[in-house]
This record gives sequence, structure tokens and C-alpha cells, in this order.
Amino acid sequence: MAEYRTHMKIIGDILSTTRDDLQDEDGATVTYLIRKANISHSRISRILKTLVSQGLLEQVDSQGSNKYKISQTGREFLQAYYKFTNFADNFGLSI
Amino acid sequence: MEFLLENILNLVGFLVGLGIGIMSFIGFRNTGSPTLFRLTIAFFSISLGFFVIWAGYMAEDFVIKAGHIERWVQTLGIAIQTVGYFFIAFSHSIKSFFPKSSYFRSVGILPFFLVSSVQLEHLFRSVSFILLAYGAIETMLSYIDNRNKGAISVSVGLALLALGEFLGWYSFVFPESILYPVSMVIKIGGLIALFIPVSKVPLTKIKFDEGLE
Repeated sequence: MAEYRTHMKIIGDILSTTRDDLQDEDGATVTYLIRKANISHSRISRILKTLVSQGLLEQVDSQGSNKYKISQTGREFLQAYYKFTNFADNFGLSI
Repeated sequence: MEFLLENILNLVGFLVGLGIGIMSFIGFRNTGSPTLFRLTIAFFSISLGFFVIWAGYMAEDFVIKAGHIERWVQTLGIAIQTVGYFFIAFSHSIKSFFPKSSYFRSVGILPFFLVSSVQLEHLFRSVSFILLAYGAIETMLSYIDNRNKGAISVSVGLALLALGEFLGWYSFVFPESILYPVSMVIKIGGLIALFIPVSKVPLTKIKFDEGLE
């Protein structure tokens, strides 16, 4: 059975991909993130737009295509995300 | 003895609730998670509920000196705690706790005007018991899924609070018996068990970020 992921968990997956699992130094393409985060193009486009506007991701124009890299704020957010995921786990909850 | 236990219980409850509430709030500010927001409301309510009862005992001891706490203060404190327990249970996906029909919603509040504060206290205690038992079972079930050891401690804590709440409610049958002090000791144990895993969450390098809201 497929595991249900909260919106927050999807954001965590996208950010951790852009931090730990990049294709190259320029960042990750949308196609790569779709495959890694396992969500639709329309949904990831909305999420990426929000993450860039919040300063969690940096959008890089590389050879005519957009690539995404995690920012310093994004790294801090991801650190907090992992800590509070553990906190919520203690209550049997997902953040 | 009972007075001392009441004071210890309410102070521990206030501090534990406040501690977990603050931690949840920091988590909410950092991540914007709705789950952490619900936990913040839950634990601030629990903390406030214990504080109200503690303040009632203090006022009775130093100002009123009537020999017993005002019944409405106790009822108010327990009601506020029940709100907190509701939000814990709600976080475990109680989908429709309140009836959907507006007619039933309006009728549902009627009993609050028809019963005395003593009966209200029993009502809140029994609702708290149900919510706490539900939270304890759900937390234990989540342990089976993710094997997070902290969930066992939280589950035991909620179960002890439920048992304490039940014994506290049942003690009205035997007013002068040892049941009520025992219920308070059990609840103190429950609050400590609740705080153990939370106290292990490292909060270093976590800071508020206004841009994330």
C-alpha cells in the first residue's frame, strides 16, 4: 500500500534532494526532482515556486533550463524539519 | 497530604505543559506545520488548566481560607485541560467529533446550562478520559508503525493521565478514600512520562525565522 505523505513531508523530500542528491553543482532540474520526490509536474511547479519565493531554494538559470539548489535558509529549515519530525514522532504524529 | 499532592500535580502539569507547548510553538514557527500548531494549542491549554487549579488552591490557602477550593475554579481548570486533550486526540484525526448538523450543534450545548458545576466537572473528567485513552491507543499504534521509542513513553504518559482522570472521577463514590491521592500520583507519573522523550529533542541551533511564516 502506498504511504500517505503530508505536504510538509513532500517539501522535506524536495529540500533533502536538493541538498544531498544533486545531479551536478548547478542544481537539480524539475524532471529530476519529479522523479526523486515522486509527485506530478503541476504540483511540484507550485511547490517550487513557493519554496523559491520563501528563500528556501535558489533558482539557477543553467544552459537555458532552470535548476534548483538549496539555500542557507533552506538548510536551516531542513535541520528544523528533521528535529521536529522526531518531536512529532514521539506523539505518534507526522508534521 | 491531599493539598500537597494537588499542588505538586498542578505545578508539574503547568510546567510540563508549558515546556512541551513552547517546544511545539518553536517547531511551528520554524516549519509552519499545522500538526505542531495543534500540539501548541493542546499543551498550552493543558498548562493553563493546571495553572488555574493551582492558582485556585493558592488563593484558597492564602486568601480565602475556606478549607476547600472553589468548585467552579476546579471545573474551569479541568475544562481547559479537556480542550487540550481534545486537540491531542484531534491531531490523531478525529474527523467528526462534533455533529455536523447545526441543529444538533445548538442542542449539544444545552446540557452545559442544565447541570451544576459538580456534574460539569464529572462530565469534563469523563470526556478527558475518553480523549486521553484514544490518544494513548493511537500513539501506541504509531509505535508499531515507526518503532520510535519515544512514542512508548508518550503513550504510557497519556494512559497514566487517563487512568488518573478515571480514578479522580471515580473517587466521588468514595470521597474520603485513598483513591483521589492515588489518582494524583498516577497523573504526576503520567506527566513525567510525557515529558521524558520531549526533553531529549535537541533544540540547539534552532532559531526563529520570520521569513518562513
